Amino acid sequence: MTEIFLKLIIGVVSMTALGIVGGFIIQGVDRKLAALMQARIGPLLRQPWWDFLKLMRKENVVPEHAVPWVYNAAPIMAFASVITIFLYLPFAGFNPLMEGYGDLILIMYLLAMPALAMVFGGFASGSPYATIGAQREMVTMIGYELPLGAIVISFAWKMAQSGLAHPFSLKTIAANPIWNLVGPFGIIGFILLLLAMIVVTPAELSKGPFDAPEAKSELAEGLLVEYSGRNLAMFYLALGAKMIAMLGLTVALFFPYTISQYFQVDTTVKIVIEVLFYIIKIFLVMFVSVTLMRVSMARFRITQIVEIYWKLGGTMTFLGLFLIMLDGKL
Amino acid sequence: MKESVVSAKKPIKTVIGPIHPALKEPIKFIFEIDGEKVIKVDLAPGHNHRGLEWMATRRNAVQTLYVSERICGICSISHSIAYCRAIEQAADIEVPVRADYLRTIFAEMERIHSHLLWAGVAALELGFDTLFYKAWEVREDLMDLLEYLTGNRVNYGVLQIGGVRRDITPDQHARINKSLLNYTILFDELYDMFLEDTVLRMRCRDTGVLTPEDALKLCTVGPVIRASGIATDVRQDFPYCAYGDLDIKAITPEALAGEVHGDVFDRIIVRLLEVKQSIEIIQQSMKKMPIGPLTNFPKLMVLLNHIKQAEGEGIGRHEAPRGEVFHYIRLAANQESPLVWKVKASTYSNAMSWVKMLEGEQIADIPIIVASVDPCISCTDRVAMVDKGRTSIFTQDDLRRLSRKKTERIRQGLK
Amino acid sequence: MFRLPMVPRVLKQLFNKPATNPFPARHLPKSITRFLEKVAAGKAELVLPLEVPEGFRGKIGYNPEGCTACSLCARVCPANAIEVNREEKTVTVYAGHCIQCGQCTEVCPKNNLFMTKEFLTATTDRYSEEMVLT
Ligand code: SF4
Ligand code: SF4
Repeated sequence: MTEIFLKLIIGVVSMTALGIVGGFIIQGVDRKLAALMQARIGPLLRQPWWDFLKLMRKENVVPEHAVPWVYNAAPIMAFASVITIFLYLPFAGFNPLMEGYGDLILIMYLLAMPALAMVFGGFASGSPYATIGAQREMVTMIGYELPLGAIVISFAWKMAQSGLAHPFSLKTIAANPIWNLVGPFGIIGFILLLLAMIVVTPAELSKGPFDAPEAKSELAEGLLVEYSGRNLAMFYLALGAKMIAMLGLTVALFFPYTISQYFQVDTTVKIVIEVLFYIIKIFLVMFVSVTLMRVSMARFRITQIVEIYWKLGGTMTFLGLFLIMLDGKL
Repeated sequence: MKESVVSAKKPIKTVIGPIHPALKEPIKFIFEIDGEKVIKVDLAPGHNHRGLEWMATRRNAVQTLYVSERICGICSISHSIAYCRAIEQAADIEVPVRADYLRTIFAEMERIHSHLLWAGVAALELGFDTLFYKAWEVREDLMDLLEYLTGNRVNYGVLQIGGVRRDITPDQHARINKSLLNYTILFDELYDMFLEDTVLRMRCRDTGVLTPEDALKLCTVGPVIRASGIATDVRQDFPYCAYGDLDIKAITPEALAGEVHGDVFDRIIVRLLEVKQSIEIIQQSMKKMPIGPLTNFPKLMVLLNHIKQAEGEGIGRHEAPRGEVFHYIRLAANQESPLVWKVKASTYSNAMSWVKMLEGEQIADIPIIVASVDPCISCTDRVAMVDKGRTSIFTQDDLRRLSRKKTERIRQGLK
Repeated sequence: MFRLPMVPRVLKQLFNKPATNPFPARHLPKSITRFLEKVAAGKAELVLPLEVPEGFRGKIGYNPEGCTACSLCARVCPANAIEVNREEKTVTVYAGHCIQCGQCTEVCPKNNLFMTKEFLTATTDRYSEEMVLT
């Protein structure tokens, strides 16, 4: 028991640090790349850190019509739930800290938590823009949960079908790269799932073109419109960390490969290589699923978002699932 | 905002503006919203009255020219053309042919940059930042060209009553041709980026539809009415400047798609095609432009005295990028400043079409529909009610009575 | 068909130069004044703004020599930025009020008024020495 507590405390502290620092870096890289693609110079890599500092120094306004405790609790809840995800995610080929205690299903629910926190915060802030934003966020969530769920089921089914124990556990999935388990049909199926995952990622992270809940030009930042100062800074931290969590999940599901076994070096160097490789993977996934998506498309309407996730995402994932099953039966 | 309480039955009342990221200028929209749907629209302009017409009554005609240029930062040539033509009509001033051609060229350059600016703003409202940067980057070359020809990027100060102030010399032709060629190439790229993008089309097709009947009934002007399929264009219908000599046809979306929807997408089509048309007009004018004087009044004081002696009224119309602008001038003998100067900016005619376009649409489409008219709010605001801090609502009858009163005052030549 | 014409363009742009002219420096310095001091001391490099063309209408310039106080310039100035001093036979031009239309420079019979190419005229005091020309 004490061992678990110790592990938990160390885990929480280190994961919080990782979430904050990693969130800053990944947001900085994302902004810089987006700027370069738009023919701008863009901010320095440390700009998110400055933004955070600036927000921390600003006044924390609670609007008159807000429900203060929900309004103030929402950012903390968002951040805390993201950090919790970190405890269950395998990083850079290492096993998750809380291995054996949770699985993919748990992660799926934890991923919904920050969004829910934002919805609560939005409703609690008592502004019509935030209310509309919160409604949109809920609708978006309903939209992308379907393809996301289908992806999770496909993975578990394949794992179970391959006769592996704990099919829902991320450790199993990470240890057995999916592409090695399936035949040609299955590969097509998982490519479809990967595409669906790429489309789901921006919505999970409230990034364009699926940022209808925050829509700068329509709702003036939507559900975050009333937030300021410390609370907003907390949300920024949560969003940055969530970006890592979401990308980490994609990497863990689809690209769990490690490369250090190909090098004849001692363990520390191996760890360094592994971490670098992981960072490269994360940035690659980020470039495709976040940066490229948001610079190359106009924002969708909320109805179109639902349509895309249910019709396109649904078809894609179920077709993928079907192909994978077909492949398994052959 | 007290009226923001969520309830299941009652539609939410939401106010957008006067300050809102979707609006580039202050205007207030009051929406009744049910879920994501707009039920009712009301608009309240009047946050940006600058009293320019009043300023004119304290300045002479030449000074007012620069005031007219500052009605709008984008249509600055358009307003000064309309103003100059009104004065020229009132004071019987002849404009040399070369000056007419030069005015045409500058006006068309302004149209290109205005439409590109609009295209960028539209992309921004759609949440498509990249396209916004791209459109404005493309526009930059034309701004440089205008700066090169006129001496400034905005408020060109190139027109004069009775002519123009600056000539286009033969050694400037190379630079102009370079830009025009550049834009002919860029046009294809813009066409690709705006009209071939599936997501953009998804957002703009069948949003903010304005039927031809409504467009006519509400007296809309410019690209808005043309996008609804009605081919009116002051340049075509009542040629002025050099437009009579040139080959101009009002552009409707039929030219491209063969069908008219009257939606936001059609407005994009019309504006894009007009960019191409403007390039062609400039090319034609550069070829046809005769040699001659720039003005019949090289001495400004002679001009001012001539206007001072003149008596009469004049109107000036010009097809600005946003639609027709209309200026009315009344001059009184032995008076330096015009007795009345009345300006009707294009958005004034287009504003009411917002109600028709917005009703029944989604919240997400409000910004792009509002922007699709290419509004110019501060050009439109003509009245500010200052009644000891009390604002009241004027009905149509009140306004008619007030305007009759004013007309009577003008008729009697009194201020 | 689902077409996104922007994708190849942004990917290409990623390897092209940004369109921005990084004036006065690549990233906004913490304090412009201190940055300019550093530039003067030769410790930092100033990125110059783009060249303005011939005939650019920048800040107004005035040369009192030979001015007859004929007040023609004041008569046409739309901003009423010119004040005529009859005794001294000069005018005072308030550059902070001037809208840089260039009308006065055309009307002046002695060519005492002219447009310079200067455009960085932002100041906190529109009646400071540089902004009032006599
Ligand atoms: S017009 Fe020229 S000469 Fe006359 S007052 Fe002005 S500056 Fe002096
Ligand atoms: S440039 Fe124009 S505004 Fe400036 S002083 Fe001369 S006339 Fe007045």
